[in-house]
Amino acid sequence: MIRNNTPYFHAIQILEDNCTGCTACVRVCPTEAIRVRNRKADIDPYRCVDCGNCMDVCEFHAIIPSSDPLDIIHNFKYKVVIISSSFFGQFTEDISYAAAKQAVLELGFDEVAEEAMVTDFMISIIRDYIRVNRDKRPILGSNCPAVVRLIQVKYPSLLPNLLHQEAPMSILTRYLRDKIAREQKLKDEEIGIFLIVPCVAHVTAVHQPEGAYKHLQDGAFSAGMIYGRVREILKEIQNHPVDIDTYPQGLTWALSGVQADLVDTDDIRALSVNGVENVMDILSRVEDHYLDQYDYIVLRTCTNGCVGGCLNVENPFVAMSRIKKMSKEGTNKEIHVEELEKLYAQGEFIVSPLAPRPIMELDKDIKKAIQKMKRINEFLTMLPGLNCSACGSPTCYALAEDIVQGKASIDDCLVLRRGNPDLDEDE
Amino acid sequence: MSEYRYVAEGFEDAVQHFEELKPEAEVKLQFAIPEKDFNTAGKGSFELKNMLKRLGVDSVVLRRIAVASYEAEINVAAHSKGGIMYSTVYENLIHVCFEDQGPGIADIEQAMTPGFSTADDLVRELGFGAGLGLPNIKKNSDAMSLVSAAGSSTKLEFLIYFA
Repeated sequence: MIRNNTPYFHAIQILEDNCTGCTACVRVCPTEAIRVRNRKADIDPYRCVDCGNCMDVCEFHAIIPSSDPLDIIHNFKYKVVIISSSFFGQFTEDISYAAAKQAVLELGFDEVAEEAMVTDFMISIIRDYIRVNRDKRPILGSNCPAVVRLIQVKYPSLLPNLLHQEAPMSILTRYLRDKIAREQKLKDEEIGIFLIVPCVAHVTAVHQPEGAYKHLQDGAFSAGMIYGRVREILKEIQNHPVDIDTYPQGLTWALSGVQADLVDTDDIRALSVNGVENVMDILSRVEDHYLDQYDYIVLRTCTNGCVGGCLNVENPFVAMSRIKKMSKEGTNKEIHVEELEKLYAQGEFIVSPLAPRPIMELDKDIKKAIQKMKRINEFLTMLPGLNCSACGSPTCYALAEDIVQGKASIDDCLVLRRGNPDLDEDE
Repeated sequence: MSEYRYVAEGFEDAVQHFEELKPEAEVKLQFAIPEKDFNTAGKGSFELKNMLKRLGVDSVVLRRIAVASYEAEINVAAHSKGGIMYSTVYENLIHVCFEDQGPGIADIEQAMTPGFSTADDLVRELGFGAGLGLPNIKKNSDAMSLVSAAGSSTKLEFLIYFA
C-alpha cells in the first residue's frame, strides 16, 4: 500500500527528479489540483480525483501510477483475483479469452473471478434502485471512482443522486468472502481478495473506499503489469488448453455506451457519457435540472469507459471493438444468483451516504468568501490574462485565487516580472 | 408597458427592506447574450454557478439560482434580439437581471402561463420553447419582476436569498 503522508491517499506519484516544471499537467487537471512551485509539480490531495490526465500528458515520466506489487498475495492463505471487464480487451485476437484467464490464475491465485460474472445481476440492482428512487432522478452511476470523487469535490449538490450500491467488483468481493470463509473454513484475514484494475482511480478506491461499510479488497494490481506477466506464461497455456468458465457478454460493462443500453428499458431512459470534460459538462447540466428526463446516467471519465483506463495497454477503441466481438461470439456461463439476491435483500451492498468535499469555496463563512472574491477580482485586473501557466497556476484566475488564499504571490507572474527590473535582480 | 411582480410568501418584508435600503453591491458579474446563439447561451449561468460555488452558497439554493438563471438566459437567446445578464451578489442574496433589446412581450399574463410559448421553429428544433421558462423562474425565485411592452425591451429580475 502506498501512502503519501496525506489525509487522502492517491495512486499517483510524482518523481521530482524527472519533473522539469513544464506545467503540462497543471493545464490538463480538471479540478485544478496541480501547481508547479519551485519548478516541481505538486498535487493537492484534497482536489485530486485520480482521473489520470496528468500522467497521460507528462512527457518526462515524472507522474506515474502506483499499484500493488504481485507478491503481496503471499501474505494470505487463500488468494482470489477479480479481473475487471476491460482486461480481456487488451489481448490480440490470436490469444483466447480462456487462455488469458487461465494464465492469470496461474500467476499464483487459488481462485479467479471476473467482474463480468455479476454485471447482469448489477443491472437488475440498478433498475430496482432507479424504480424505488424516482424522486432522485436522474440516478448517477457510481461505478467510476473518479466520477464519485468529482461529484464530491465539484458537484456536491448531486451526491444524493448517486447510486448508493456497491459496484460489481465489490459486490463480488462481499459474496466471495462469505462463500470462501464458509466453504474453506477460513478466517476473514486469511482470505486475500485482489483486483486487476484498468485505472489509478480504482487503485485509490481499493485503498480508500468511499462509503464502504465492510472490509473489501486487499490490493489492486495494474492491468498493464498483469498483462506483462501473463504474456510470459501464455505460450505454455496455449499449447495445453484447459476448460475455464468465461463471461463474454459481461465484458461489455467496460464500455460505457453498452452499459447504458443494457439498463435502458420501457420505463427507464439511460444516457451514457465518457471522457472527463464531457462528464463535467453533463454534471453541470444535471445541476441545472436540464437532464431530468433521464432516469439513469452512466458516467466514466475515461474514453469509451473503462477500456480507456490509463493502466491498460491497448487503445480504447481497439479494446472496445474486441470486447464487442467477443460478446457477439460467445455466451456467459450461467451463474447462480440466489446467494447474491439474498445478500442484496439483506442490504449488504448498500453504500453509506458520501460526504461533500467542496474544493471551490473560498471560505466557510460566506461573508469572508465575498471579501476574498473582491480581492481576487482586484488581483485579476493586475494580471495579464494570458493564462500561460508559467507562474505554476493553471490560469490567471487561479493565480489570483492562490494569492488571496496565501499560496502564491503576485511576483510569481513571470509576465509582470519581465516589465519590472527590480524584481529580476532579486533572483 | 405592463409589469408582472411576484414575491414569495414570507419574503415580503425582506424584499421591501432590500428595495428601500438599496445596499451596496459586493460582487458583480456581467455577460452578453447574443441573439439565437445557442452555442454560447448558458455560459453566463455557468459562470454565475461557479461564482456561487466559490462563495460556498448552500447547494439547494445554488441549484435554484442555476435553474432560474439558465431558463432566463435561454429565454433571452431564444426570443429576443440579444441582451445582457447582470448578476449582483449582496451579503445575503443574489439579484440577477436580464435586459434585452426587444421585441418585448405582448401579453405578460399569458407568458407566465405554463405551457404557453411563442418559440419559433428554429428554437423548437433545438429543444427549447416548451413554455415552461418563466413559470420555472418564478417557482425558483424568492421575488421576481418582469417589465415589458410589445415593440420595446424586456427587463426580467429575480432575487434569491442564500439562507
